[in-house]
Amino acid sequence: MRFMMNKQESNSMNNKQNELFARFPELSMSEIHGNTLYLESNASSYHTICKDLNGQLAFPLVSMFASDDRERTGSFTIHTVFANRQSGILISVALPVDPSTSAFPSLCELIPAAALYEREIHDLFGLRPMGHPNPKRLVFHGNWPKNQYPLRKEFPVNQRPDFADEKIEFTRIDGEGVYEIPVGPVHAGIIEPGHFRFSLAGEPILNLEAQLYFVHKGIEKLIEGKTIEQGFYFSERISGDETFTNSLAYCQAIEKIAGLQVPVRASFTRVLFAELERITSHLGDLAGICQDVAYGFASYQFKMLRGWCYRIADELCGMRFLRSVNTPGGIRKDFIQGKEETLTKLLAELKKELTETEAIVMHNSLFVDRIENTGILKHKIAVDLNATGPGGRASGVDFDVRKAFPYEAYASLTFEVPVQSDGDVSSRMKVKLAECFQSISLMQQVLEQIPQGIVREEIGILEPYRSAYSLTESPRGENIHYIMTGENNTILRYKVRTPSFCSWPALCHAVSGNIVPDFPLINKSFNLSYAGNDL
Amino acid sequence: MFQVIKKIIQYPRVTQDYPAKPFDTSLTSGKPVIHSEKCTACGECVTRCPSGAIVENVDTNTLEINDNACIFCVLCSEVCPHGAIEITGEFELAQMTYEELGTQLKKKIEKRFGRSLQIREVDSGSCNGCDYEINALNNPFNDIERFGIHFVASPRHADMLLVTGTATRNMELALLKTYEAAPNPKLVAAVGACACSGGIFQDSYAAKNGIDTVLPVDVYIPGCPPRPQAILYGILKAIDRL
Ligand code: SF4
Ligand code: SF4
Repeated sequence: MRFMMNKQESNSMNNKQNELFARFPELSMSEIHGNTLYLESNASSYHTICKDLNGQLAFPLVSMFASDDRERTGSFTIHTVFANRQSGILISVALPVDPSTSAFPSLCELIPAAALYEREIHDLFGLRPMGHPNPKRLVFHGNWPKNQYPLRKEFPVNQRPDFADEKIEFTRIDGEGVYEIPVGPVHAGIIEPGHFRFSLAGEPILNLEAQLYFVHKGIEKLIEGKTIEQGFYFSERISGDETFTNSLAYCQAIEKIAGLQVPVRASFTRVLFAELERITSHLGDLAGICQDVAYGFASYQFKMLRGWCYRIADELCGMRFLRSVNTPGGIRKDFIQGKEETLTKLLAELKKELTETEAIVMHNSLFVDRIENTGILKHKIAVDLNATGPGGRASGVDFDVRKAFPYEAYASLTFEVPVQSDGDVSSRMKVKLAECFQSISLMQQVLEQIPQGIVREEIGILEPYRSAYSLTESPRGENIHYIMTGENNTILRYKVRTPSFCSWPALCHAVSGNIVPDFPLINKSFNLSYAGNDL
Repeated sequence: MFQVIKKIIQYPRVTQDYPAKPFDTSLTSGKPVIHSEKCTACGECVTRCPSGAIVENVDTNTLEINDNACIFCVLCSEVCPHGAIEITGEFELAQMTYEELGTQLKKKIEKRFGRSLQIREVDSGSCNGCDYEINALNNPFNDIERFGIHFVASPRHADMLLVTGTATRNMELALLKTYEAAPNPKLVAAVGACACSGGIFQDSYAAKNGIDTVLPVDVYIPGCPPRPQAILYGILKAIDRL
């Protein structure tokens, strides 16, 4: 609902801008669009600008990706994105990269969190981060040949190079009695694939390295050249249980480019769906945590409640995964009209049962013992790695996109952001439980306050080469999408940075010092998405 | 403890009786159907479908929807200028590859897997939607164990592989190894549009178009994702227990 900045925001934006101008007189300020400030930089100013934004102003690095702009500008571009969460502004720093050298200065020394992004850029675009301490492969495994970079425009989307046999080394921990346990990619349970390499001395885990990208499907490439209408369906399939939040981010980016404000009724409806997705996801995690400590009754209760949420989804739209609900310009049809009474009743039942379940579960001291002090994610690490969502909030990271960058109808609704400080499984469980109640309350408020009206506007034809960022709070945390349009109403570049991408390294830290049998429990308490990370 | 017992009594049985009793589809969104009397074969849906699922049958000059590629997004029903496409609640879409082989094989299957079935699930590149629906087979509403069907941790114990996802490049080897590790005779079920055909992720540098490019598939269970009952239907169909 806030595509135009209000006065206070634009003031604070101006201050930041002036501050930066004063520091770098040579900076060319290219554009302010919605809540994003676009800065141009060059090889000599890039480091200083990033250092100032991240170091001095303490804006976290929230995304970093490349785009192949050789056809238009003659070079590649690195986009490095920082967030000012106090005033809800993104700052996107563009750095042109000369195709003849294909190299850019690494930020790792200043910002350790840049490491993964830079490895990803190298794999997909073949741009080398100079000075990167560990530039090994990330997206591609040993089967991918050298010097093939699929996100370069000349690489055909359906080209499947022959299998190669490159070697990728895991981090080795040396020391007496240190041994390794490899696990995966196929696991014992019904979960997504990933390979975990534990280094241990005796029982405690010294180090965990996660090799992911087993479900890398090439979504960012597949979507290039697709129409805006078709691209939408890919966004829904980035991560199954985050369907709505991803499709919402896609729609918001398109709507920003179109300069369109969705009808108020649609923006309320979107909140209802987003919260339904959140609670469905959290209840599944809670069931999983209980199951992993063999607390069958509690697990059964949470699974049943999750089933009730699917019942609400069926009632609303007939799709358990809330697909084909959104559409750029609003929502597909009026999903709420005439169902208010049923929904209110179902929500009241859900709240009552959840309250009773919480009382039983959280008073079981045997259970609480088991989850306390397990898998601690330290506050400092959470901040450094930009772990957001319940995982971050359980470690005292008091941040929620719905408050810092309010979108849709959130600004006009009342809700709290539960925060804990211990960072263990128990804290994550408490945060998720508390968020379930907030979600129910938000859905109830939507049903009470939603105004009548239309639910969808036409997007029309979009101008080519316009870009926008959008942020949503997914059940797992801060979710950032970037879209640039191409000719004929198509997508030229689509970058998705899900919360899981930032939180996987945080999870690896949280398990160290714990024993391997506790890994599934710790993993479940974060419940990160593999698909959302691997794309 | 008293509270726990109270709850157990409060919800003695929430398991649905599907397939013994039909599943109520009045609310659900399922298979799109083209009504040939209204369709002019103008081709609007063909160009708009994000999954390339609508194809022209050149012999009859009519349009058909390929269930295995369809992602059930309902777009075609919205864009058809003649209102010829209807979204039905139909979800029992699983197809066997060896139906035509006749009763003999069926008998064999019945004999082997008639009473109990051990399943190993493999995600070979899904969006995790299908996996959540397979997981839901274990929840109190579906409780697949009532059919003697269990999910097992190792492929060595499996009679059936339930595979989701498109067979990504990075999972291809693991998928093959899992298949080889399962003892004969074994069944393979492709769950979801991705596994059946590549679905929306067809023709990518990073994945194959469906798992039958890697393994022999016995049953295709369309959907994106198929709901738990649709998966259950497919499994029971594969072991001839419907
Ligand atoms: S429902 Fe979607 S995927 Fe299926 S045929 Fe229609 S447009 Fe294509
Ligand atoms: S078929 Fe659909 S739900 Fe299943 S994995 Fe593929 S995209 Fe996800």
